[in-house]
Amino acid sequence: MNILGMGIIFTEGRGIDCFEDSLKSGWRKPSEVSGPPDKKYSVYRVDPETLTDRAILKKMRRSDKLSRMAVLAAADAIESSGIKNINKERIGIIVASAFGAHATTFKFLDDILDFGEANVSPTVFSNSVHNAACSYISSALEIYGPTLTVTQFYFSFQYALQLAQAWINEERCDYVLAGAVDQCGAVLEYVYNRKLIQAHDGRIKPFHFEPTFQVPGEGAAFFLVSKRDSRNVFCAVDTIRFGKDPDGHMPADLNIIDTDGLLPDESVYIPSLFPDIPAAAYSPLFGSMMIGSAFNCAAGALTLKNQTCYANPVAENPRGIHLLNDTGRSNVELIRCIRYNCHCEKAVIYLKKT
Amino acid sequence: MKNVLITGLGVISAAGGNLDETLNSFAYEKRNAGRVSLFETVLNYPVFEVREIPEEITLEGQRTLSLALCAVYEALGEADLDAGLANFRVGVCMGTTVASQLNDLEFYKSYRSDGSAPMTAVDRFLKGNLAQCISRKIGAHGPSLTVVNACSSGTDAIGAALSWLKNGLCDIAIAGGADELSRIPYCGFGSLGIVSPDLCAPFDRDRKGLNLGEGAGVLVMETADSARQREKTSDLYIGGYGSGGDAYHLTSPSPDGTGLKAAIHKALTDSGVAPQQVSFVNAHGTATIENDIVEGKVLKNIFGADLKMLSTKGFTGHALGAAGGMEAVFTAICLRKGWIPASAGFENMDEAISIAPVKSRTAINGSYAVSTSLAFGGNNAALVFKRDEKI
Repeated sequence: MNILGMGIIFTEGRGIDCFEDSLKSGWRKPSEVSGPPDKKYSVYRVDPETLTDRAILKKMRRSDKLSRMAVLAAADAIESSGIKNINKERIGIIVASAFGAHATTFKFLDDILDFGEANVSPTVFSNSVHNAACSYISSALEIYGPTLTVTQFYFSFQYALQLAQAWINEERCDYVLAGAVDQCGAVLEYVYNRKLIQAHDGRIKPFHFEPTFQVPGEGAAFFLVSKRDSRNVFCAVDTIRFGKDPDGHMPADLNIIDTDGLLPDESVYIPSLFPDIPAAAYSPLFGSMMIGSAFNCAAGALTLKNQTCYANPVAENPRGIHLLNDTGRSNVELIRCIRYNCHCEKAVIYLKKT
Repeated sequence: MKNVLITGLGVISAAGGNLDETLNSFAYEKRNAGRVSLFETVLNYPVFEVREIPEEITLEGQRTLSLALCAVYEALGEADLDAGLANFRVGVCMGTTVASQLNDLEFYKSYRSDGSAPMTAVDRFLKGNLAQCISRKIGAHGPSLTVVNACSSGTDAIGAALSWLKNGLCDIAIAGGADELSRIPYCGFGSLGIVSPDLCAPFDRDRKGLNLGEGAGVLVMETADSARQREKTSDLYIGGYGSGGDAYHLTSPSPDGTGLKAAIHKALTDSGVAPQQVSFVNAHGTATIENDIVEGKVLKNIFGADLKMLSTKGFTGHALGAAGGMEAVFTAICLRKGWIPASAGFENMDEAISIAPVKSRTAINGSYAVSTSLAFGGNNAALVFKRDEKI
């Protein structure tokens, strides 16, 4: 299965070029916001100005931020593939989200508390349904194939991509828009900061491992995948594996790990890193997200397409891991993208040069 | 295509705590609806609540998971897998809506008023991913996925599990849907004006909307190779699955049924079955004005006016993410038993639909049946079930 197109919305803006610029230019301080209980904290939010594409969003004036991020990233994934006249009955959509439309759900709870059960807004309710973002992608882009929304917390994106591969193998679709989206809301940021250690200097330190430091992030990353080829192809998704240790020490040119402070102890990643394979982690560019794997996967796809390695944005390295420290041309054939969940189970996506 | 057997069925709803109780309710047309008892509310729409979950299965504050486990254990029992799954590659794919949302009103009220809140509800949510919890409870070591596709979640979960089996990602899959009755959709559907103040009447001329319900329905699905190795046989198969998007509206189905037509045609093609071979259709049939018009027209168009069809929502209410799983179980068991129940609540044909569900218990012949689901967001899904009469 090939990645033919990608679309990305993250704190720095919209589009692959913007994401690549960020990979090249390195870490930037997140914004600081106030929240209960009277504290300031760092967060990688997406500027609403990024989400004002009238041509694409014209049919979704009442949609929430989550849906807008998803639709724009999905539209960009098709656009970046350079493929014209795709049969839109043969495209499937799989949206992965850890928390879905939680911000709109809380808005609906506001309605119940403020106006009573009999006076809640039907529009807010409709937009709080978990698959609203997927629905908007389908209607905004006029896609008539299968549409699915899935949630599996840490492995939401990996399972979405695996199912996309299955749909393509069995010829249910010619193309699948598989992607991930999550939104930061005040409540979720509060939860993160109650349960996990905030990065007070704004830096997620992916190679610190324990203790860990998080900065909540939000955004969307979508991939147009297919068995077919195109002139803009980024890379192939070789295999996706799950389990306690599904791959052992398989040869790869680069390990990209999803350490981002969402596990209080991320030292579980250390046995997957080897002295002969450089490691990278890009969460300091987009923030801590259970769907952060999609963004790291996008970084891997860009690495393979451009044959350019991108240095770690935050390279504090107390454990002496072999880190990728320089940005520049490189021969990369195979990348292993690794995520662990809180049960020490591992999901691995292998990306391969086409 | 690899044959996929159904080796176990499990269900719980207002119609009964297991398959036998459900069939009894179907046979005697018992409609166990009433006022909401699970939470305080000023609204007064009737609902179909599950009255009893066995104490040994009940998990405090995790009603959806408790309902799901009831159905899972029953299905594993029929599949002769209740002794353990350690030796098998078992995937779990479950649909839900309510269990996927961090929506605890007390938590939020506290956060809003005090700027702080206890983390109990959050911890429960973070530890409560439906498929993951079931996988851990039963010791399944295969893929695990929670599908949150609104009202077609259960059907789509079965479809996703079918893809896993066909792609060799597991040998056995436990799939279906589960949802509890919750204040959020109760108020939300009320605000949309699609909840009936009376008992629902799917496809009826005078229908006033849906009743909400709750429950779980689960299939144990298995490759023929796996069943053979376990020396397990079954007369029931999943023939195929289809899904199609309307690309139309967030809450209304496309008036011409674009996605539903595509879903049914795909499921039939997947199965190698012609419409005229289908014995009956267990329709989504929510009893809302729009759903029943669109669905009825599509079913008539594809299967003809003489189609035997029904909606079981008159017995269970609309259990949202559980509905597709429960209705898959009902479709499969009816195919096995050779009869379908009355489409409870239906009295008079709606000329705008011009196809009528059965009004009484009806014998059916043949080997194939279809279950359909339509969902918010324009998702449409269909499953084809097959019965091998030689077994």
